Amino acid sequence: MGKGQPSYTDEEFVTAIRRGDDRALAQLYRLHLPMVSHFVLQNSGTEDEAKDVYQEGVMVFYEKVRDGSLELSCQIKTYLYAVCRRLWLKRLAEKSRFGSRLDDHEPYLETGAEADLAEAEERDRRFALMGEALEQIGEPCKSLLEGFYLLDRSMQQLTADFGYTNADNAKNQKYKCLVRLKKLFFSHYKEEESY
Amino acid sequence: MGLNHPLTLMMTEADYYALFDAYQSGKLVGTERANLERRLTADPSFAQRYYDFQELTTTLTSYGERLATRQKLQAIQAEIDAEEDAETTIETGNPNMPVMHISPIERKLREFWGAHRATMAVAASVAIMAVFVTLLGIEWWRASKSPSLYGYTVLRREVERIKRNQRAMGRAINQIDGTKSEAANQSKFSGTGFALTADGYLVTSYHVIQGADSLLVESRDRQHYHAEPVFTDVAHDLAILRIRDKDFTGFKRLPYSFKRGQSDLGEKVYTLGYPREDLVFNDGSLSARSGFEGDTAFYQVSIPVNPGNSGGPLLDDRGNLIGVVSGRQMDVQSAAFATKSSYLMKLVDSLAAASPKEPYNLSRTNLLAGTSRPQQIRKLQDYVFVVKVYE
Repeated sequence: MGKGQPSYTDEEFVTAIRRGDDRALAQLYRLHLPMVSHFVLQNSGTEDEAKDVYQEGVMVFYEKVRDGSLELSCQIKTYLYAVCRRLWLKRLAEKSRFGSRLDDHEPYLETGAEADLAEAEERDRRFALMGEALEQIGEPCKSLLEGFYLLDRSMQQLTADFGYTNADNAKNQKYKCLVRLKKLFFSHYKEEESY
Repeated sequence: MGLNHPLTLMMTEADYYALFDAYQSGKLVGTERANLERRLTADPSFAQRYYDFQELTTTLTSYGERLATRQKLQAIQAEIDAEEDAETTIETGNPNMPVMHISPIERKLREFWGAHRATMAVAASVAIMAVFVTLLGIEWWRASKSPSLYGYTVLRREVERIKRNQRAMGRAINQIDGTKSEAANQSKFSGTGFALTADGYLVTSYHVIQGADSLLVESRDRQHYHAEPVFTDVAHDLAILRIRDKDFTGFKRLPYSFKRGQSDLGEKVYTLGYPREDLVFNDGSLSARSGFEGDTAFYQVSIPVNPGNSGGPLLDDRGNLIGVVSGRQMDVQSAAFATKSSYLMKLVDSLAAASPKEPYNLSRTNLLAGTSRPQQIRKLQDYVFVVKVYE
């Protein structure tokens, strides 16, 4: 890449990313982007679609690494390829492109990608529900909860931000919001489950 | 610690949640932490409350992480895109490089092409192959659709075709005077025949008399005689006729002799025959010692023959009868075929052996050798006849 950075081995990538090293993440991203991009473009995808699919794939990888639950039985490159390939196939199927033969030259390996993707799908569902619940909860709860849990602000900061008279008020408000969120989230969750 | 502990009474749900938050983020220490953990293990309903709280908040936190990571990845991508644009700028010195706009239609076409390249390549190959196969097929079909058997025609003349010829009609009317009532009927086919013996045996081709109900033999001077087939050799296209007519008194001694052996390649040969109402002479050379498709019972000769020549004599320069004209190859110039006289002789021998009471008196002398072609013909012509076939 020519940026004068030391290049990581696969193991080093995993360790660094697990630690939260954003530079390692960036290097990994740049390293494998061309391969996936080429694959998607060869199979009737656009550049934007390639970027989307790649980011989804890297996300799957990243979250597994952060979670500590990634079991790599192959190279990161192979893993990412398998994941992105599956993702792209799904998208093509949604676009009703059955019968268009996929043009790839990699033999299908046992990468564990299938299982991880299933997990990711489940996770995506939860996050989607959470996002919906947050939208529906309205103010001030949305900003309060996002502030505390998403932006990692301390209660002191939030007390100041929201103009609560004291920390107790903030604490009580947070509690009420959480209860409401719980109701919203679990009702949606149960709704979805009952399909 | 019991339920009556002042700490317990003082805590509201909100307090607990705050406690849980602290515990979850690892900020709870010391006795507070120990107390909480003890309670969690001791009190199942309490533990359940914590579990519900945990499920919600970890999802929230993870959701936050997800959003943050997405932003990170997008930022990285944006960096890459910016670098690529910068490269373009460096190369061209123009930051506002005109971007190629591909219309949606073109994009769709490119997408389609990219996706279906392989399919279209296969389709194109199949189409090309189909064209070639069709062309070959047509060629083959045309070749096989010849009017005759493998390009070989026999030379029996179909007289029906010249029925409208006024001269032929005229002759028929004339012939009625000769009290040959059958002569009023037009014959269906005609060919040539020639004398085998002075007794009235004739040779012609089998296919000339094939399917005939009655035969008429006509000489050059318009004499008619009834004849009947005595023997046929279908494989070698030979037929032997005998004149059965009370008016017939026999031929004069035959001037030609029959060759028992084979003739040589390059021999000058000629034939006399009736491809039309008048005697026709034609000559050529012996082209091959085998006939159509290598049949060793036939010669190939370079004589231009026509329907009506069948059954006619093939003679060499020295007046030997060497063959009987049989057929012609359609797609080859000047290729005619004649049954070898050796086969005729074999046939005659076997017939003679079979019925000794009916002798075949073959002439052994040759009166033609040494004479000029026109002289030979003059002597021969009385022994060559039209063979008319009636069905």
